[in-house]
Amino acid sequence: MNIYLPIAEMSVNAALLLGMGWAVGFLSGMFGVGGGFLLTPLLIFMGVPTAVAVGTGSMQILASSVSGAVAQYRRRNVDVKMGAVLVAGGVIGSVIGVQLMKILREMGQFELFVSLCYVTFLGAVGALMMIESVGSIRKNKSGQASPRKTGQHSWVHGLPFKMRFHRSKLYISAVPPALIGAFVGFMAAIMGVGGGFVMVPAMIYLLRVPTSVVIGTSLFQIVFVMAVTTYLQALQNKAVDVVLALLLIVGGVIGAQLGAAAGARLKGEQLRFMLAALVLLVCLRIGWDLMIKPADLYSIGPTIGGGS
Amino acid sequence: MRRLLVALLTVFLVAPQALAQDARAPRMGPPRTTVVPGPNKPAETVEADISARSLEVTTGFTGHQIVVFGAIDNSQAPPGSTGYYDVVVVLEGTPFPVVVRRKSDVGGVWINTSSITFSSVPSYYAIASTRPVEEIAGPVVLERHAIGFRHIKMTPSAQYAGTLKDYEIAGFRDAVIRLKKKQNLYVIKPKDGVAFVGRSLFRSTIPLPANVPVGPLVARTYLFRDGEVVSAHIARVTLHRAGIERVVHNFAFLYPGSYGLFAILLATAFGLVASAYFRRQPG
Repeated sequence: MNIYLPIAEMSVNAALLLGMGWAVGFLSGMFGVGGGFLLTPLLIFMGVPTAVAVGTGSMQILASSVSGAVAQYRRRNVDVKMGAVLVAGGVIGSVIGVQLMKILREMGQFELFVSLCYVTFLGAVGALMMIESVGSIRKNKSGQASPRKTGQHSWVHGLPFKMRFHRSKLYISAVPPALIGAFVGFMAAIMGVGGGFVMVPAMIYLLRVPTSVVIGTSLFQIVFVMAVTTYLQALQNKAVDVVLALLLIVGGVIGAQLGAAAGARLKGEQLRFMLAALVLLVCLRIGWDLMIKPADLYSIGPTIGGGS
Repeated sequence: MRRLLVALLTVFLVAPQALAQDARAPRMGPPRTTVVPGPNKPAETVEADISARSLEVTTGFTGHQIVVFGAIDNSQAPPGSTGYYDVVVVLEGTPFPVVVRRKSDVGGVWINTSSITFSSVPSYYAIASTRPVEEIAGPVVLERHAIGFRHIKMTPSAQYAGTLKDYEIAGFRDAVIRLKKKQNLYVIKPKDGVAFVGRSLFRSTIPLPANVPVGPLVARTYLFRDGEVVSAHIARVTLHRAGIERVVHNFAFLYPGSYGLFAILLATAFGLVASAYFRRQPG
């Protein structure tokens, strides 16, 4: 069944979109990631305008992370104070990102910038995860338990504006969490991703937030920042397609349930290894498109800001 | 011979007036049996219409076939002859400004390096004719009436005057046509695009793809004889959004703030309802 998307202004197969939402939901349920980094490039490959793919992506992430955030909050796994600092930074980052997106679209360099961001972040995060997971798979085979470093002080602890984060049992400066939040908010606006794959490692390794509250707090931040980003994308770029988002959400919610069940049967290191491989594949695919000579050197588009 | 030339000239002079006053023209003239157009015979005129006045683009819109049909009044074609007249139908969408960008290799990465804005490019352009248009008339006539892809009116915005060479502009122009053709927005039907039904009736089926931009479409029908336009007629069809598609689009563009809040509420509600539903499921 074909359906006409009112904002993307294209006719697509509704079953295909549901299936895509399902597949991305399955993978994100299995690996415990948001899935934005898979969904947004997939939408772009399908021919959805990059801006609409990014804007609609933030709405889909909001829907898929809100239930997780509520569940984590009920289990008291959210450091609300830390979350608030992350959100404050995230909102600023998102505002900057949406503005930059508008400027880049007018210049005709938005697609390039998005692709470069994807290649950089996915490449870096994928490579790090790959190294870490291979390392821990090896250690497990040789029977050694990986030692976890705790209580170490780093440069992060020397900054001003110190705040006490009770739930995280931390007394640190508010600057690093705000910066991390801002960076993630910026990525959310530009790339249409939740940014959990950057925020979670940053909170664990830079801020030394206890693992128990990391996921909940990061989801808390994602929900609020995604809500703000969705609003700004709708207001400034008119890039949120609710019909497209709903189809992806419905498919994604069902897929996530099955994916979570499948993921429960796999070991953590194996999951991380597979996720790293997936991330690197997406990175290579986008990088490839940048490097090879395009089939047509020319592209056409409407003038932004001049009516249409 | 001189009289004949004078007669032909009057036809050309009268034709544009006939076009302007087509509402007054008789619907269907009596069939003529004259073989040679004489000085006292009324000039042939063409009238045409589209199978629909308006089309609705709804969420289920997957494209549409429209039929442009018409008749030649006062046809002077000899009985039994074919190819005495040629009919060309041009269906054109609203002109919009379009940015064309060209990529080039910058250190191994393909980047948009140059661009040009055409201030008005038809959003849609379909051409159907009894024969390929190049066979029907010369480039001067085709250019004057903007018939054929090569003669689509496309002017670069003023700021490019002098900065780009003519062949560069031509490259951008060709790209617009090539890419629009790829999107099925520029369509050509040269062979049997317009088919005669009997002596003076003709019809043409033109496909509108699902991605056709909404707005008015203008169908220009030209009657050709001996490489010249003897009559022309204009008809219109309007594509407008309807149903959910219209509601959502208007909401998003007219009230973007409320639309953004609505999107947030919708996403939150869906996320919560779905998780509540699945929590009740066993396993």
